[in-house]
Amino acid sequence: MATKKRAAKKRSSKPAKKSAASSKRSAKSARSAKSARPARRGPRSAAQRVSGLLVMLPWIMQRQRVKISTMARQFNLSEAELVEDLQMAAVCGVPPYTPDALIDVYMDDGMVIAEVPLVFSRPLKLSTAELFAVSVMAQTALQLPGANKKGPLASALAKLAPLMPAGAETIKVQLPKTRFVKELLAAVETGERHEIEYFSPASLKRTTRTITPRKVFEDSGRWYVAADDHLSGEDRVFRVDRIEKLVGTQIFDQLREVRDDELPWFSESLQKVTLRVQKQARWIVESYPYVSRVDNKDGSVDLTMSITSKHWLGRLLLRAGNGVKVLKPVEYRQLASQTAQNVLSRYKKTA
Amino acid sequence: MNLLALLVDRAKPLTLRQVRQELGKQYPDSDEAARAAFERDKAALREMGIPIETKTLGGDAAGEVTYWVNRSNYELSDLRLTEEERAALQLAVATVHLGAQHGEEALWKLGGERILGKASMSVNIGLVDKNMNVITDAVMKRKTLNFEYKGEKRQVDPYGMLSRNGFWYIIGFDHLRRDKRVFRVDRIEGLVLAGEARAFKTPVDFDVAAAVPTEKQMLAAGDSEVTTAVVLVDASLAAGVRREFGESSVIRDRDDGSVEFAIPCANLDGFRLWLFAMVESAEVLEPQSVRDQVVQWLENLAAGK
Repeated sequence: MATKKRAAKKRSSKPAKKSAASSKRSAKSARSAKSARPARRGPRSAAQRVSGLLVMLPWIMQRQRVKISTMARQFNLSEAELVEDLQMAAVCGVPPYTPDALIDVYMDDGMVIAEVPLVFSRPLKLSTAELFAVSVMAQTALQLPGANKKGPLASALAKLAPLMPAGAETIKVQLPKTRFVKELLAAVETGERHEIEYFSPASLKRTTRTITPRKVFEDSGRWYVAADDHLSGEDRVFRVDRIEKLVGTQIFDQLREVRDDELPWFSESLQKVTLRVQKQARWIVESYPYVSRVDNKDGSVDLTMSITSKHWLGRLLLRAGNGVKVLKPVEYRQLASQTAQNVLSRYKKTA
Repeated sequence: MNLLALLVDRAKPLTLRQVRQELGKQYPDSDEAARAAFERDKAALREMGIPIETKTLGGDAAGEVTYWVNRSNYELSDLRLTEEERAALQLAVATVHLGAQHGEEALWKLGGERILGKASMSVNIGLVDKNMNVITDAVMKRKTLNFEYKGEKRQVDPYGMLSRNGFWYIIGFDHLRRDKRVFRVDRIEGLVLAGEARAFKTPVDFDVAAAVPTEKQMLAAGDSEVTTAVVLVDASLAAGVRREFGESSVIRDRDDGSVEFAIPCANLDGFRLWLFAMVESAEVLEPQSVRDQVVQWLENLAAGK
């Protein structure tokens, strides 16, 4: 109980962190969108509205009665937009447009009601993009820890198979295989605190800490766990492949869900650096989240990113060699050289 | 929408003249404007995946075109998904994020619903590239792709696609190199164009996962004379390297917990990136030539070169 109170207080007192997390999100989404649904911009065209209706009408006819608010949320529309679209549908039909020849959908007392279907009772065929999405999502879900490879998802996929073009067979998703993902997922569902041994390359330190896992997720080829970290008293994200040991404590915290857009990617005190990245070190731009980027005329990129530690930046500079220079802050201009000297001293000892 | 309803309802081919009669004021009076409006609607419907069939009449009505839609050509047949199967698909779509709404759309068409709650797990394999639709369509339907990559115009028969480590790859026959090549989707420059469907056949023994080299294979794929280096890794990082390169790469476990590994280094640039990720926690012991090269890199960097 004490834990819950602490966690609640912790969250409310941390507006700074939230903004750090969201800037990471926006930066990262340049390559991998965090949200499943891109925000819609501007007014919808008539074609968009009709094409949306062609999906919605068979859906509502199958259900016959659905709350306007529920249906609007389901289709990512505001209630006003949904009502507008359904009103448009309601005056559609075939000549002579007498009531019995109209599409029979109406709204009453906050409900959408669809009665005898006229046309559009069957959904449209799946487009190639939709088939691709279903196929990829289902085969990915089948690889997740604990998935039943012979369960309903597999049989649903088998029923969809005849619709797939031949090329769908050679589209594959490989998820990283990482220890403890299954155990952590179970911990999210029970709220059990776990003791972990965690290696942080930022500090080159191994720590033992107790965490309550809240969400397990994969991003850009790595598994992470978002958790209440009882060592720092913060919400933190840990890389699962850096967890060396995981032991249940039999202490259970109240369950708490974490949305994708509230993941605590960073702890508060993060420093920002600006790097000039040459073409040969372009992997930096592609591999790490950044706050902002400016493309220069000569093909180089000025990248501003948050760093977790000086050691981490030193490592990045060492790997990138002469493909990258620190522009800001001044105190890190010599960091590449210092890091190289540190490593050199190791070689001198054993020379 | 009324045009579609009409064509579906009448279930027989109609000429534009008949359509205009039926829809009355919904099309402009002038022939030219009506024709344009009709063409626009027709194109919009086709865009939505509703094929409008056409036939040019002969005889008395020679030259007149009739239009109709065949419901079986655009309506999804009932797949007879069970509630359980639908629920499983819903969960998959809620868990796996692609960065586009196609998954949800498919779900609706299959009679399912988007799960609106929060999931305890999520996977992000976003393919948000601007060329996504063209590429996936081409892979699924075996269309040849044209795009620019590393400053060269490529013509590629995409045999398959793979998502690994946060990147999407296209693997295919590169007409320029006359060989099989791997391309990273996010490194394609500009727009991708696709040709006709069924333009090529994928080799029967094609294995998409094996076609994209792993990190270990990448370190081994190079033209350096020395192909393997002995690397001493400190105890703090040894477990990770052991997992990555396997037990067969271990030469010796030292008493202090550090481990000597045999690591491929034919691709020296790749090797350097891998080695320096461990900063001072790893050291090349042998051969001397590779060790010298590492020291040379470090000296250059230390001198600010």
